[in-house]
Amino acid sequence: MSKALICSCEDVTVTDIRHALSRGYCDVESVKRYTGFGTGMCQGKSCQAAVAALIAREGPLQPPGILPFTPRPPLYPTELSLFASVPVNPAEPPVGGVPQELGTFPPALRPTAPLPQKAKVVIIGGGVMGLALAYNLSLRGETDVVVLERGYLCAGASGRNGGGVRMQWGTPSNIELAKRSIDLMKQFARDLGINIWLRQGGYLFMAKTEAVARRLERNVALHNKHGVPTRIITADAAREIVPGLTLKGVLAASFNPEDGVIFPWAFLWGYAQHCLKKGMKVETFTNVTGFEISGGQVRKVRTDRGDIACDTVVLAAGAWSPEIARLAEVELPNEPHRHEILSTEPLKPFVGPLVSVLDSGLYFSQSMRGEIVGGMGDPKEPAGLNMGSTLRFVARFSEALLEQLPQVGHVKVLRQWAGCYDVTPDNNPVLGRTPGLDNLLQMSGFVGHGFMMAPAVAERMAQWMITGEHDELFHRFNLRRFTSGHLEREDMIIG
Amino acid sequence: MRRLPDASPSGRAITVDLEGEAIPAVEGEPVACSLIAAGESVFARSIKYHRPRGAFCFAAACSHCLMRVDGQPNVYTCRTPARAGMRLERQNAFPSAKVDLFETIDWFFPRGLDHHEMFAGVPVAEQVMAKVARQLAGLGLLPDHQAPIRPHSQILQADIAVVGGGAAGLAAARGLTERRASFFLFEREERIGGRLRRGAPLPDDPAVADEASFPAHHVMTRAHAIGLYDDEHGRFLAIVKMEPEGPRLLRVYADRFLLAPGGHPALHPFENNDLPGTYAGRAASLLLREHGVAPEAAALVGWGEELHALGRLLQAHGTQVRAVVDLRGPLPAGALPVASVGSEPKAHGLRKVTAFSFQREGGQRVKVDCDAVLVSTPTSPSFELARQGGAHVRFDAQRGLFVVEADADGRTAAPHLFVAGDITGGGTAREAAAAGARAAEAICGGRS
Repeated sequence: MSKALICSCEDVTVTDIRHALSRGYCDVESVKRYTGFGTGMCQGKSCQAAVAALIAREGPLQPPGILPFTPRPPLYPTELSLFASVPVNPAEPPVGGVPQELGTFPPALRPTAPLPQKAKVVIIGGGVMGLALAYNLSLRGETDVVVLERGYLCAGASGRNGGGVRMQWGTPSNIELAKRSIDLMKQFARDLGINIWLRQGGYLFMAKTEAVARRLERNVALHNKHGVPTRIITADAAREIVPGLTLKGVLAASFNPEDGVIFPWAFLWGYAQHCLKKGMKVETFTNVTGFEISGGQVRKVRTDRGDIACDTVVLAAGAWSPEIARLAEVELPNEPHRHEILSTEPLKPFVGPLVSVLDSGLYFSQSMRGEIVGGMGDPKEPAGLNMGSTLRFVARFSEALLEQLPQVGHVKVLRQWAGCYDVTPDNNPVLGRTPGLDNLLQMSGFVGHGFMMAPAVAERMAQWMITGEHDELFHRFNLRRFTSGHLEREDMIIG
Repeated sequence: MRRLPDASPSGRAITVDLEGEAIPAVEGEPVACSLIAAGESVFARSIKYHRPRGAFCFAAACSHCLMRVDGQPNVYTCRTPARAGMRLERQNAFPSAKVDLFETIDWFFPRGLDHHEMFAGVPVAEQVMAKVARQLAGLGLLPDHQAPIRPHSQILQADIAVVGGGAAGLAAARGLTERRASFFLFEREERIGGRLRRGAPLPDDPAVADEASFPAHHVMTRAHAIGLYDDEHGRFLAIVKMEPEGPRLLRVYADRFLLAPGGHPALHPFENNDLPGTYAGRAASLLLREHGVAPEAAALVGWGEELHALGRLLQAHGTQVRAVVDLRGPLPAGALPVASVGSEPKAHGLRKVTAFSFQREGGQRVKVDCDAVLVSTPTSPSFELARQGGAHVRFDAQRGLFVVEADADGRTAAPHLFVAGDITGGGTAREAAAAGARAAEAICGGRS
């Protein structure tokens, strides 16, 4: 059948690019994500200029608004085994990293239409939290909402995570939120008309130390109490689930078959398209520059495209939240921490669950497209909004992965990238009203698991905002707890 | 494609195993070259629509030639030297790449398949689709074997590290040698020379430098850069060096970096531009000049000086050049008589190219029979390393390329990072060499 291919690695046609442009995905990063062009074996070498030329010819953007998507090392597919040959000094903190992501996006990308001068609700942050909240507000009749996003949709952590969704948590609140989220994910395509490719292959957690092994055992009892069918499994059972797993140094493993992986980007597109249909505004490439505050209330949100008067402001800017909060002279205890991640060549399915070594934070799964996607936190990572990629990460990850899954040594890494966890002192979120600034609502601090919690958190937040009914979530996780000292720590953090 | 009768073989005649069939090959040449010379056109099926694919770029810049080689998935056969008895398997097809049942996907969805919205929210159908999609997704099966423990990554240090041994990189290396600067140059091919060896020659091309004229062991071939990284010791290039015993990862720390990696062959979008028998122009010149393999009858399409130079090169070696379609025009002096300005190119054929058609400017649609469609457009600058290092990249709408911004000496917005040659947006080999020489002078402090 006659087709004009523009990205032959992923079979993306000229028609597909035009379709993305017609949906409003016009910048190169967004077109890449929506169509998948440039995500295959060649990583855009043969296609990117042609896509840019098509955008320049038919889209609304002109250079300098047409920029290449951020190139992700390695330049050529490179085997995990080779990366594992690089020695790492665990005593040193990781530094720098390339490429440095754009701190600000060029003004040429800014929408030219005027911003609304007022709105009932302004949501700062067009990640999954903010967009899910906007969607849930609309279900409850509130559509006078503006969502502000500093970049393209998926530019923040919502577009950079591994797509894992799990009910295996260490606290009842998180277990219940995750359960509800996964239920909502199951009906997402029905509600919003876009596939999110939920695949419940389970989460296999492994513990290498006694303390962590005991934590897994303790959690299984808690999970079962909340109706989550987690079980402690033997080494043989683990190998049956993931053939070839060595379980080297592993003392215990737990498995919940109902956990899974999803395709994260589609959530943002689904929510955003819904909001636009309802007449709500999703303003990308728009920076918040300040607030007008009087009488203990935020009156206006200032942006680089003008001010918006509003009744309520929601801060859902993930790792950028402390920076934004400071503009309102509010100190959040959150700290951004870089977490790196990589993706390999796509292979036919061979790993069912997401596998994680809880002690080191190593995790990996196989995406719907067949890539091994995984990461591992670095205990030496300093705080800061750094999204550069390091060789140190790929080396550490490759070594840790090959220890558990040696048959993938020849598998080639296609790209690596980084995102920021939004870390709080107790690994739990910051939700609810801001003390002293009543109409500034907090919705941040999700420590790398915001994506999977968003559908449920946003549902409760919208209900709470619209009805004013009491919901313990917004008291339990209120900013006040960091001064009053009632902290309940979540220990099931990976990545 | 065929071997030219007057070409002297570059290696021993051997056979390789293609799914149980012995295929004649020449030892050491890219095995993809051996396959097409032996008349094998279908190498694989594409990831989504299961369209037939054959080798296209011969530069590891697309995915058309990926095969399972000796039990390893997704191997670039365009860069893998043929070895006697090597096992090649086509991927992503059932029951075989020649007759693939899943090819029906391509026919069922003539206007494309929207995986975002297809069956979204349709009960049962969406679950079935998710299961089917999971099985259909992915390219290749797990490797048969575990990887060996690789040799330790090695650290190199020099004042200057140069990426690319083409016209620009070699001219720079000459300048650095003359100034007795300490440098390493990394070339990913087996031989230095870049387009001077592999492209269609232009009348004013400079001569290829002799490797022996550079300090011993400071010009490394079969060594490709995979990243420009920072760590606690500073900035370094990560290089994969192919050694006889296998690949080794090098970390090369330097005070200055000169990036002259050239560009990638681009896939110009037109109808059936992925049909086996469609090749990048640089692939065609490489096959002819390095391996003595050329089409019987070819249609050329694209724009720029190299397009017409390729026409001349092929014709001089006996290929019947049936059409040279310049998509931009006007035709330069030296264009073949068959050349014309045209638009709307299209490749024809079921599983491989059998014909090519286009719209002649101010005239009718023309269709010619051919066994190869050669797409020669200016190479797409390989800006990735420069962008990683902080150089600015902009889209040149007129040329339709992303280019690295640099001053006349190759200085970029990033300190200590210089560029020269095609990475800044093309030009002739002579111009690239001049840019390389200038950058070398600037790096050594000869210019302010």
